[in-house]
Amino acid sequence: MLRCSNLCVSYGAVQALKGVDLTVAEGECVALLGANGAGKTTLLRAISGLVRPRSGEILLQGQTLGGMAPERRARAGIAHAPERRRIFPGLTVLENLQVGATAVRGLGARMQEDLDRVYAMFPRLAERRTQRGWSLSGGEQQMLAIGRALMARPRVLLLDEPSLGLAPLLAEEVYVRLADLAHTRITILLVEQNTAMALAVASRAYVLEHGEIVLHGASAELMDHPRVKEAYLGA
Amino acid sequence: MLTIQLIINALAVGSIYAVTALSFEIAYESTGVVNFSTGQLVTAGALVGASVTAIGPHLAPVAYLAVIVAMAALGLLFFVGAYLPLRNRPVLTVIIGTVAVGILVQNVSLLIWGPLPIAVASPVGNATIRLAGLVVPTHALFVILVTMVLILAVYFLLYRSPLGTQFRALAQDPETARLIGVPVMRLYALTWMLACALAGIAGLLLAPMWFVDVGLGDSLALKAFAAAIIGGFGSIPGAIIGGIAVGLAEVLGASYISSSYKDAIVFALMILFLLFRPQGLFGERVADRA
Ligand SMILES: Nc1ncnc2c1ncn2[C@@H]1O[C@H](COP(=O)(O)OP(=O)(O)OP(=O)(O)O)[C@@H](O)[C@H]1O
Ligand SMILES: [Mg+2]
Repeated sequence: MLRCSNLCVSYGAVQALKGVDLTVAEGECVALLGANGAGKTTLLRAISGLVRPRSGEILLQGQTLGGMAPERRARAGIAHAPERRRIFPGLTVLENLQVGATAVRGLGARMQEDLDRVYAMFPRLAERRTQRGWSLSGGEQQMLAIGRALMARPRVLLLDEPSLGLAPLLAEEVYVRLADLAHTRITILLVEQNTAMALAVASRAYVLEHGEIVLHGASAELMDHPRVKEAYLGA
Repeated sequence: MLTIQLIINALAVGSIYAVTALSFEIAYESTGVVNFSTGQLVTAGALVGASVTAIGPHLAPVAYLAVIVAMAALGLLFFVGAYLPLRNRPVLTVIIGTVAVGILVQNVSLLIWGPLPIAVASPVGNATIRLAGLVVPTHALFVILVTMVLILAVYFLLYRSPLGTQFRALAQDPETARLIGVPVMRLYALTWMLACALAGIAGLLLAPMWFVDVGLGDSLALKAFAAAIIGGFGSIPGAIIGGIAVGLAEVLGASYISSSYKDAIVFALMILFLLFRPQGLFGERVADRA
């Protein structure tokens, strides 16, 4: 479904990604792990078109994305829930969700179906539908960010650190929903620093260090891998 | 009685400031560009309208349509010729760009219409009506009515339509708007078309009250700028209330203090706001704009 090959991204002299190869098959939930500054966000931004790779290729269903603009990639089926959620602060919860469906044209009456599905997944959003984005708690904002991305009926969902800045209990709540979501066989690339939670949800994972993939494999294997245990699971 | 008559006049003048400030504010909110050519765009609208009404005063209603179409086309030109090439440049470059557009529009206007002032007919004529002992120019009532219609139209466009939600999302966070598929370039083009059309209508509303020459919009734009500051820079309701407030301050100040100070009163008010309430009447919460 999604494939990056030999992807290199630089910010001026800083090489953030040094030849990354990664694939996510249809219906799969894949985690991308790594420490601060490893290049995880950069990889997602390259996939959604916010940064231009210096070299390498990104393919969606076998089609190269080349220099396609982010808004066109969104219409091609890439939904990106960005780091720090980026809820539209002046829009209500409902408006944030409605505008999330911009990429799917001619949705019409089916918009309500999608809204209902998101509300069923995150009942708290339904209670707060007329509240403005800025007034939500961190956890609610994260639910809204995921809900907004789902409104686009994505082929591939990119999630950047959904547990960031959340109290453990809230992070847990978000991950319970993500696990449900992964069971619906939607294709997900999940960036996370909370390795244990991410491995519990994803079927496979990649580990990124200093812009390079240093390890990858099935989640169960990685959980027992000495290097992962030591560096990322704090064991 | 006199006071009520004055207030109606003030509301008419203030309405025109409000429409101009709305043009300015919509461009600023959506694209982040402070448009220093607003005054010249107002003039261009008045001149286009003047040309249409010159054919025959019965065409005055058609003039509004013509101005909307012509100014929207000019807005598209603005988008392609100035906004697109400059949008990733430093703020100062963009500002100088809009000043340059203003100079260009003014000079082209001078070439087409010449320097002589032109009288423009109102669609409602230049009659006055008597209402409960008041003498009110019909054009003043027309201006207030048109402004209310425009404000309602803009309100529905921005706050009650899916396109409006996209506009507001774009204004609040352009990068995330792109991530969810908002066609940003199309919206920027529409913004400039709308901003130019509003400026043009402001000019056409003003035209029957003053004679139209190529300098018509210059002082109007300054007042609209003051209105935006007083109402709260970056707030659309603020632009409207600020415009009305400036109209009231000006007309009432002119009649109760001295007409030679009417501009000074407006700018003194603006400076007081800058000093003591820089966020204006409708200063938005910082969180809203995060
Ligand atoms: N806009 C930018 N300009 C310059 N350097 C940048 C920029 N964005 C990221 N970098 C650098 O690129 C590298 C990778 O950053 P990135 O944000 O992708 O890391 P990350 O894995 O998402 O980290 P975190 O877990 O802290 O979010 C870092 O060294 C960072 O300093
Ligand atoms: Mg990151």
